[in-house]
Amino acid sequence: MSPIWVIARKEFMDVLRDRRTLVFMLLLPIVVMPLAMIAFTRVTKNQLLAKESRRLTVAIDKQGQGLIRAMGQQWWGDNLLHLMTLGGRLMLSLGEMDLDDLEHIVDRVNTYKDAGESTHFGDTALAAGWVAYQNFTDDEKQLLDDAGAVHAVLSRTEWRDIEKLTHGPDVRLPPGVRQPRDLPPGLDSPAVIAAIVGEAKALHAALYVPVNVFDRLEEQSVSVPITILYDSSQSLSREAYDRFSAFVGALAHSQIDVNLRKAELSPGFVQPFLLKSANVASESRKAQAIIGSILPYLIILFCFFGAFYPSLDLTAGEKERFTLETLLLAPVSRLEIAAGKFMVVFAAAITAAVLSTTSMALTLTHGVLPEDTARALHLEFQPLAIALTASLLLPVAALFSALLLGIALLARSFKEAQSYATPLQLLVIIPAIAALLPDLETDLTLAWVPLMNVSLLMKELLKGNYLWDFYAITLSTTVVLTCIVLWLTGLLFRRESVLLRS
Amino acid sequence: MSVLVEARGLTKVYGGRRKQATRAAENVSFACAAGEVFGLLGPNGAGKTTTLRMLSTVISPTSGTAVIAGHDVVREPDRVRASIGFLSGNTGLYPRLSPREVLRYFGRLYGMDDALIRARTAELATLLDMADFLDKRCDRLSSGMKQKVNVARTVLHDPPVLILDEPTVGLDILTSRTIVEFVKDCRRQGKCVIFSTHIMGEVSRLCDRLAIVHHGHVQFIGTLDELRARTGEDLEQAFITVLERPA
Repeated sequence: MSPIWVIARKEFMDVLRDRRTLVFMLLLPIVVMPLAMIAFTRVTKNQLLAKESRRLTVAIDKQGQGLIRAMGQQWWGDNLLHLMTLGGRLMLSLGEMDLDDLEHIVDRVNTYKDAGESTHFGDTALAAGWVAYQNFTDDEKQLLDDAGAVHAVLSRTEWRDIEKLTHGPDVRLPPGVRQPRDLPPGLDSPAVIAAIVGEAKALHAALYVPVNVFDRLEEQSVSVPITILYDSSQSLSREAYDRFSAFVGALAHSQIDVNLRKAELSPGFVQPFLLKSANVASESRKAQAIIGSILPYLIILFCFFGAFYPSLDLTAGEKERFTLETLLLAPVSRLEIAAGKFMVVFAAAITAAVLSTTSMALTLTHGVLPEDTARALHLEFQPLAIALTASLLLPVAALFSALLLGIALLARSFKEAQSYATPLQLLVIIPAIAALLPDLETDLTLAWVPLMNVSLLMKELLKGNYLWDFYAITLSTTVVLTCIVLWLTGLLFRRESVLLRS
Repeated sequence: MSVLVEARGLTKVYGGRRKQATRAAENVSFACAAGEVFGLLGPNGAGKTTTLRMLSTVISPTSGTAVIAGHDVVREPDRVRASIGFLSGNTGLYPRLSPREVLRYFGRLYGMDDALIRARTAELATLLDMADFLDKRCDRLSSGMKQKVNVARTVLHDPPVLILDEPTVGLDILTSRTIVEFVKDCRRQGKCVIFSTHIMGEVSRLCDRLAIVHHGHVQFIGTLDELRARTGEDLEQAFITVLERPA
């Protein structure tokens, strides 16, 4: 048996008994990261739902409150027929579903049934509706969104009388809060501003609607201002702004239709141009592009983390435990020792990268992405893309392994090695992030930037773009860099002042 | 008796030109034959460990050389390492491996086949009384047990030369005794043992000849009787006298 293999075999056994390595190589990528990702998504989703369904407190004068209701009701009156038609089409689509859709809905119903919920019909209708919704025009989708916006304001707003606030005791504005200029009556009161920005968060926003809003709408001379006072630094206040912004948008869409009908004008009068877009990317392709940009980052990062602890343990850790000198006494050359250790760190880096990427891809498709998106997403990377990605992963893993082994060998103890190697994480993470930047193009000059080139190229490969010139430069720069680092690490393994530093 | 270890002007300078150079060993020369226990004595920092590390090829001499079992430490370090067993406070054991696994690992590195490794492990386990803890992880062993495993690792490949750097430091009296008996046993087998220690009792019980090293220089080489004859004092006092008044 070759001494390199003997050393590698023993080092494998040794690192697999090291809890830190197991955590970084197996537990973290396979268990902890997916669980954390699922938990994070659930929490975010729940928070978003809670925010959307929350009743928000908005101050307004009594007349304004009545006007908002009246405008909302008028919107329903103007659009009810159209909405009912859309609803009918949603229901009708139940009978028009193809077999695949039906299977999907049955699966979905069964999932709910397994969970002990009994909303079979509602759920089926909902799912069928989703299928029909895909075929709606942009205007029809906008109408449904507008209906939601009007409904949100009418049903989930807790109105407070603004006069009660303005007639209260004098309030001084908290420091750092500015008083906006030209505010309509009521909204200019420091008490109202203080209630919005205050610790108690008694108000989420304040609103002003001109008393003669309907008359001015009839006149059609100028736009009718509806003013909202809010605090953009607070999440719920921003939510209030978004809701009223969507509400006013809905009223405007509807009023434009009414005005055009009255004036017997066509929609072209207010909208002379219309951008008609047709996106050739399927849902699957879009999702694949997103995942394709996350995967290179994960591959590079976990490859580094996979190499991190074994490399420190097998060098600085051995010095600390006085086992390195024992090994130096064996009749093997120092390069053979370096090679044996390198093999183990390299294998750990590859294992961590492959396991984490696979587990994250599975987590995204089976636990994090919404069911519909996950269903639409077929993670079918072409074999050539996988082979080329792997051909980049190999030198990257070798580079990390050699680099970490060399740096950790310089240290006297495990702790010292950690302090040397930890800043390297930044050097790895920053270029790896390149793939996450949506607008960073694969310019050939970037092909010369180590790791950034790998990250960008992997993203393109996973999207199915084979940039051969970029690939050639990336692979050769990475291989050359890896060879240089390997050579330097080899030199360090032959320096007794480094090996025996303690 | 054939000479198995011959140090010829071994010199080690640390620091080179950049810093103020430290001459850890200077022109150290001695010879040691088969069946002989050769003691290396000296206070802390005298250069004993540096000399032994040069002999073991862990560090290379700045100048001079040594020939061990016919192999030159500078030109044939791998062959030298195959011919020696080295034990010191800096030769630790893999904490996550059991003694049996440690012995198997080093046996393979020494090129032994698995059957021979198994036989030698069983033999040494009996000799050093290690059978009870042969399959426990090394990090769960006492320092005495660990030193026994280390001794077993040192002689596993049955080398003709043993280099033991303060092998009894920090050990209880029973384990120290086992090690001393073990060294005697090696002498009986005709091995050449180079032994560094602080303990005068061990020197008088074990060493056939000794060298006293101070500030990197050899101050005395000879038998115990020659040392006593030179100073006319007991061993401890003779040692101090040599350090204070080198020849």
